[in-house]
Amino acid sequence: MKTLLAVLKKEWMETVRSGKLTVLVILSVLFGIMNPAIAKLTPWMMELLSESLSENGLSVGNITVDALTSWTQFFKNIPLLLVVFVLIYSSIFTKEYQSGTLIPILTKGLPRYKIVLAKFILVFSLWTLCYWLCFLVTYGYNAFYWDNRTVSCLFSAALYWWLFGAGITSVMVFFSAFSSGSTGVLLGTGGYVTAAYTAGLLPHIKEYSPVMLTNSLQLLTASAKPDGCMKAVLVTVLLGTFSVAASVPLFNRKQL
Amino acid sequence: MDALTITNLTKKFGDKTVLDKLNLSVPKHSIFGFVGKNGAGKTTTMKTVLGLLKPDEGRITVAGERVVYGQTKTNRHIGYLPDVPEFYSYMTPYEYLAFCGKISEIPAKDLKSRCCGLLELVGLKNEKHRIKGFSRGMKQRLGIAQALLNRPKLLICDEPTSALDPVGRKEILDILLLAKEQTTILFSTHILSDVERICTDAAFLDKGTIVLQGSVSGMRNLNSSKKYVLELADRKDTEKIMQAFTGLTLNQNHELVFREESGLLFSILHFIAEQKIPVQKLEHMEIPLEDLFLEVTKP
Repeated sequence: MKTLLAVLKKEWMETVRSGKLTVLVILSVLFGIMNPAIAKLTPWMMELLSESLSENGLSVGNITVDALTSWTQFFKNIPLLLVVFVLIYSSIFTKEYQSGTLIPILTKGLPRYKIVLAKFILVFSLWTLCYWLCFLVTYGYNAFYWDNRTVSCLFSAALYWWLFGAGITSVMVFFSAFSSGSTGVLLGTGGYVTAAYTAGLLPHIKEYSPVMLTNSLQLLTASAKPDGCMKAVLVTVLLGTFSVAASVPLFNRKQL
Repeated sequence: MDALTITNLTKKFGDKTVLDKLNLSVPKHSIFGFVGKNGAGKTTTMKTVLGLLKPDEGRITVAGERVVYGQTKTNRHIGYLPDVPEFYSYMTPYEYLAFCGKISEIPAKDLKSRCCGLLELVGLKNEKHRIKGFSRGMKQRLGIAQALLNRPKLLICDEPTSALDPVGRKEILDILLLAKEQTTILFSTHILSDVERICTDAAFLDKGTIVLQGSVSGMRNLNSSKKYVLELADRKDTEKIMQAFTGLTLNQNHELVFREESGLLFSILHFIAEQKIPVQKLEHMEIPLEDLFLEVTKP
């Protein structure tokens, strides 16, 4: 346990001193502010455009914005935060393979699974931190300008999207355990998302796809119920657990 | 018992056999020079000992315990210095050593004193900067400190001096000599003067097998060609001896070089004593290990 803590501390130090944490926190807050800002600015922008639109025969009616507009923006923008997150952390293992920094540590008799575990805990916690930070900022602004209670199932929708992202972090760790470069990690993670989207299009297996967890708009507008995602939740949790568990034997076998 | 024993080690990369039934034993408390050309298989051998590469055949024991690939428990007996050591650039040397100490489960109360002691040994005690700006020599010295941290029974250094300038090289060799008190050292190199300077034992590796192994003094004896060099004060005396004996040659320094065969040395000494010839120098000629190495690794 002590050695695991030491490795975790090292990972944390790396994230802080390399500036990754600062970048992520700033981005999360910015993303969080952007959602209500866009909602707030929409009527004004439409007004600006209304003249040119009416020339084209389009008339702009009265636009009302509320918490739902802002939350819609949140769920549209959060994939971008996830992409940035994956790009930043896709090299968390591969950088160490390439520079050889793991060799002195492993040759001290540190069990390899502790490295996998520490790196997963870090990525998972950071995703949780960034996601909920972004959520809180949007929530605060929305509560100030409008009323969050007008949106249905907000917390379930947010929790599901977080889980989808958490699933991706574990898949990223899985591919990092054996790919030698970060390109392999990105391709693998991208492959997982593509497969999940493809499965989301097929009628019979659709409900099992982790992509179901990102159908937040239907939950917000009460056109779907949170219970409908339970199969997708189960599949995501199982896949995530399997990915991390399978990384250990794969990493054990990796020649460094 | 030997600190390290390797029996019949074979390792292939694809079709290429890098190590071919290699046998090696490193006696305790020796400084063991592991000599070979670039690409002879030195690093592969060391990485296999460390459990970083999986051997195709053969058996390795460290301090009597068998090395198993993947879960390499034997590594707790080993300190390793890679050929180009890379450390976390965002840490200071002390932070790095403390981190290594925690991984090696060194008791917290010993950790600080041990880290400071080692930093002093390698001359980095007052270095408060992060590893980022370190020169190669400094990294190499930090590498030795981290390798010695868990008081290993075997210290493995992969070409620790190859990329350093003469000052850096001397520093590393001096540190290794100091470290000899605590541990057995296996170090690979292609610089034979380093081996002659600090090693007690050595093995020559060529094309994946050991072609010669033994103590450095034994190798020197094996290598001594029984040649002598004689320098006299007066050139005339030199000519006199040349005329009196056969089998002597003159080198460019006007010294007599001869091979000791059937008592030639004593006959010459007798002649010198009888004639009362003043002698400047009589020396047993040592041929450097380099020549021996070139001979045993001839293609």
